[in-house]
This record gives sequence, C-alpha cells and structure tokens, in this order.
Amino acid sequence: MEAELNKVAVSPLVAAPRVLRPEAHVSVHTRHAAELRLYVVLITLIAVMFLSIVVSVSLGAIHIPVKAMFAAMLHQGSLTETQRTILFAIRLPRVLASSIVGAALAVSGLMFQGLFRNPMADPYIIGASGGAALGACIGIVFLSQISIFGFSATALLAFAGSVITMAVVYSLARARGRTSGVTLLLAGFAVGTMLSNSTYLFEIFDPNSTSGTRIVAAWLHGTIGVPEWTQLAITFCLFILSMLAAFPLMRRLNTLALGDEHAHQLGVRVETARIAIILAASLLTAIAVSLGGLISFAGLIIPHVARLLFGPDNVRLLPVTAVAGAIFLVVADTLARTLLAPSELPVGILMVFLGGPFFLYLLRKGKREYTL
Amino acid sequence: MKPLLNFDGVGFRYAERQILADVSFTLEEGSCTALIGPNGAGKTTLLRLGAGSLKPSSGSVLIESQPPAAMPHRLRSRLVALVPQQLDVPFDFTVNQIVEQGRTPYLGLLRGPGREDRIAVDRALEWTDTIHFRNRIFNELSGGERQRVKVALGLAQGAKLLLLDEPTQNLDIGRQSELIDLLHRLRGEGITILASIHDLHLVAGNFSSAHLLGPNHSLFSGTPAEVLTVGNLSKSFHFNPARNPLLYPHPFMHEGL
Repeated sequence: MEAELNKVAVSPLVAAPRVLRPEAHVSVHTRHAAELRLYVVLITLIAVMFLSIVVSVSLGAIHIPVKAMFAAMLHQGSLTETQRTILFAIRLPRVLASSIVGAALAVSGLMFQGLFRNPMADPYIIGASGGAALGACIGIVFLSQISIFGFSATALLAFAGSVITMAVVYSLARARGRTSGVTLLLAGFAVGTMLSNSTYLFEIFDPNSTSGTRIVAAWLHGTIGVPEWTQLAITFCLFILSMLAAFPLMRRLNTLALGDEHAHQLGVRVETARIAIILAASLLTAIAVSLGGLISFAGLIIPHVARLLFGPDNVRLLPVTAVAGAIFLVVADTLARTLLAPSELPVGILMVFLGGPFFLYLLRKGKREYTL
Repeated sequence: MKPLLNFDGVGFRYAERQILADVSFTLEEGSCTALIGPNGAGKTTLLRLGAGSLKPSSGSVLIESQPPAAMPHRLRSRLVALVPQQLDVPFDFTVNQIVEQGRTPYLGLLRGPGREDRIAVDRALEWTDTIHFRNRIFNELSGGERQRVKVALGLAQGAKLLLLDEPTQNLDIGRQSELIDLLHRLRGEGITILASIHDLHLVAGNFSSAHLLGPNHSLFSGTPAEVLTVGNLSKSFHFNPARNPLLYPHPFMHEGL
C-alpha cells in the first residue's frame, strides 16, 4: 500500500536537455545598445547643462552677450566694468550655485526614494528640512552678521540642523538593532513638522520684525542667494565628495529594493549600507539647503522623471539624475529672476508650478521605456 | 551522502512566544525535502534560521558544519539561498535586473557584474524558463512567472542549498506542476532543496523526504509515505484528510476512516 503512494497527482516530467534559446544571445546585443544609449543621453545632458548655464548667465536686468562673455575669458576689455562685476561677482556664482543645488537635491532624492523603497520620499520628508529651517531661522534672527569661510551663520546652522535632525530621527526609529523604513519615515515626518513649525515662534519674538521674518520667509520658500566664491568652492568640493561616496552605494540601493531581509540574505550588511546612504544623502541635502534654502520639489521630481525614462537601475540613474537636476534648477532659477523682473520669485515656488504639471503629465501619460 | 544542513535541538522564541522547540534534522546533499505543517507552525521561521536570517534561541544550526548566522555574509550567500514567499519590489525593475541582484555576493562595491556573472544570470534564467521574458517588468508578471523569477534569483546566487518558502502558493494546478518540474531539474543539477509546502498532493513522489511540524512543536520526519499518514495529518491539521479531494485518491485514505 505504501508503495502505491508514489503514484501521485503530479508526476515528475523528465527534465529535457535544454538548448540555449536565441533570446539569450539577443541580450548581449540589447545590453550594448542600452549602454550606448546611456552614454549618448549623458553627453547630450551635459552639453545642455553647459548651454543652460551660459544662457542663464547672459540673461538678466543687464544683458551680457554670450560672445563677449567668451571673449572676456581670453582677454580683458570686451566687457564694461559693470558687466564684469555682474558676471563674476553676482551672476556666475549664483548660476553655479543653482546647478549644485539642483544636482544635490536630485541625487539625495534618488537615494532617499531608493532607501525607503518609496517613490514619495524626498530629501525633506524625513525631517532634514525641519532641522535646516530651524537652524536657518536662528541664524537669520540672531546671528545674521557672522560668517565663517564665506559661509553665513545661517547656512552653517541649517547644515548642522539637518544633520543633527537626521541623527535624532535615526536613533528614534532604531529598535532592537534594526530600523524599519516606515518607522524612519514617520519619525522623520513628525520631528520635521515639529521643527519647521517651531520657526513660527521667531516671527512672534523677532525684535526687528520686518526684515528678519522676510528673510526667513524667503528662506522657507527657497531662494538661491549669491554665494561668495570661497563658499562655492567648498560646497563644490563637498558635493564631489558626497557623489564619490554615493557611487558605490548605488548597487546597494538596487539590492535594498528587494527588501531588508532579502538584501541581508544576499550578503549585504543592511544596517551599515543604510547608515552610509543616509549620511551621503543628508550631506547632499545640507549642501543644497546651505545654498538655496528649502526648495522642495526637485528632489522628488527629477529622480521620478529619470526613472520613467531610464528604468529603476540606480547605478545608471545616478549621473543622469545629477545632471538633469542641475539643468532643471538652473532653468528654474533663471526664470525666477527674469520672469517678473525687476521683482524676483522665490525659485522654490516657481519650482512647484514648473515641476508639478510636468510630473502629473508624465504620471497620466504612463509612458514607460524600460529598454535601458 | 554528506550532510549539508543540520538542525540540532533548535528552539526559537520571538517576543516571549515559543515558535520552534527542540527541532533536529539533517539534510543530506542532493536531497529534496518537503516541510509541511499547519499555518503558524513555524515553517517560515525554520527556513529563515536555515538561511542565517535569524539566530536560534537555543540549539545550533549548521551548514557544512558552520553556523550560517556567524559566517561571513558573502560566503553564506554563496552557499544558501532563501526564496521568499513574497517579494515586494518597488519601482519597475525588469526580471533581468532582479535576477542580477543574485550576484551581489560576488560583486565588490566598485566592481559591476562581469562575464561570469552574466553567464550565471543567463543560466538561472534558462533553468527556470524565464529567459524569454527577461526584459519584462517583474511587477507585471503573473503569479506563476513571478515564482519562477524568485527561484532564478536564488539560483543566480550559485547556492548549493535552496530554501523555498511555499513555492506553490497561489499557483494553479498547471503552474504547480511546472514548479515541481523545475525542482526536479534543479535536483538533477545537484542542488539540495528544502521547500515548505501546503499542497500535500505534491509531496509524495516529488520529494525524497518530508518533515511535518506538528502540534506542541513536534517534528515528524521520514519519507513522504511515512509522514503523510491519516493519523499524522489529522493530528497536525485538525481535519479529516478524506475531505480533501486531491488527497482522496491516495491509498492511505482507506486506512480505517
């Protein structure tokens, strides 16, 4: 009777020898095509970035012709003294700052979205914004005259605020040696909201209520100021440093997309990887905040658009996102200061109206190209 | 036969709840074992212990005489792969991108997948018969296709021991037999298999041995024929096996019901 047990509903089929299907060879071909397409897109994007920077610098209340600008690089005298001052002391630093802000926001958005496995995560939702806003307010209201290495106290305090907030949020979300992504998001949301709303108190107690609160308001809406060259150089070095740190973490982000447990199962030190990703992304957020205040949309939208066009592979998305973010913010900031000239829109507000409809359009269109 | 995975008096508690107690068994290399038991009996926990995702509260788990939870992460990942019940993937990763993640234990921080890794991925896709939809989006696949992609992910790890958590769950009878065929093929390639399974009609004839996690943390091991008796099943699952039409044609149904 027991022997009959082996005759069962599903009988094993004999495993036929399998011949490699033609599709397997096609993959090599498509892989090369995909790589080529990535390079073409990247080179095009970099060219567009330089073009947008040049055009942005030439536009403004005082027009600086592009031709004269390039001539000025080679020999003196092709620009008037006023044009020279505007070009090198005001416009170029500001445009370069906006490109760094855009790239930093976009890449930190990419990292936070990947880390939290949530397409709605952005550099600010996990609390960095609240901390930065509070730090900036303290700087604006009490320490507006102080600056170190070209950084205003405002920028430094914003920087410290976002990093300290991240540390607090992370330790709050950590339990039994583990951190869950959802807890982290919620803790960040709660802490960030408390901190950013506490800035309201400064408006009440501000002795010089007209100028201070207006600067605070501009800060909270996101406005790219005119940085000094030293500040720009240091920020740029920090940006390059965090991009170098981000690069090897991209493959980790791909694996973490399968979930913490599966990533652990694949040999990833999940906790170490996560701390490294949070550090790099917070540093990028702080860089952006110190130059441009709270610009909330670029970090959400750029990684999304890049993902819709190039698929979710973070290794490929990193350079594309950085360059696209730079272009996006250079264009947005140029529009912000020229559209309603001589008055100026906060770029953060313009960003919302520029990015929002585009994002909704992409979402509705459902255009998907996964070939890359 | 060499022992590959060894549980010795393994117990596991989580938040004051005893989930497993005194579980002992040995998997021999090349064997294909079914893990059966009612919901909540601790099948998933047992598999996670085997994969080193959890550490036992008592007793020891050994893979090739080493505790997996204490092994270097990458070495462990090359030895044992766990195919989870559910794989939730945010964003639109393609099948190929998912299976490529199986090569993680072979890659450095800076070194991307090379020729060897691509061959391993192709082979995993080939064996699981998923290669013709390698460029499709994982989240848009049917349940049966996803199940095979998850197995491919485990295979890409190059593991000797494959732990599968309810691989036939939510599959229709045709897709179930496809998956069983796949297990046979893997066994033919020398891969040792431990699969938790609720579809008892698939166990006999397809698995070389079975472990039944019964009431009061008991573990009953043996050949499928020894384990799948009316007495054992009705005791563990609190039901009359004769009421299951798939089990009904089996001869053991007539054993004095």
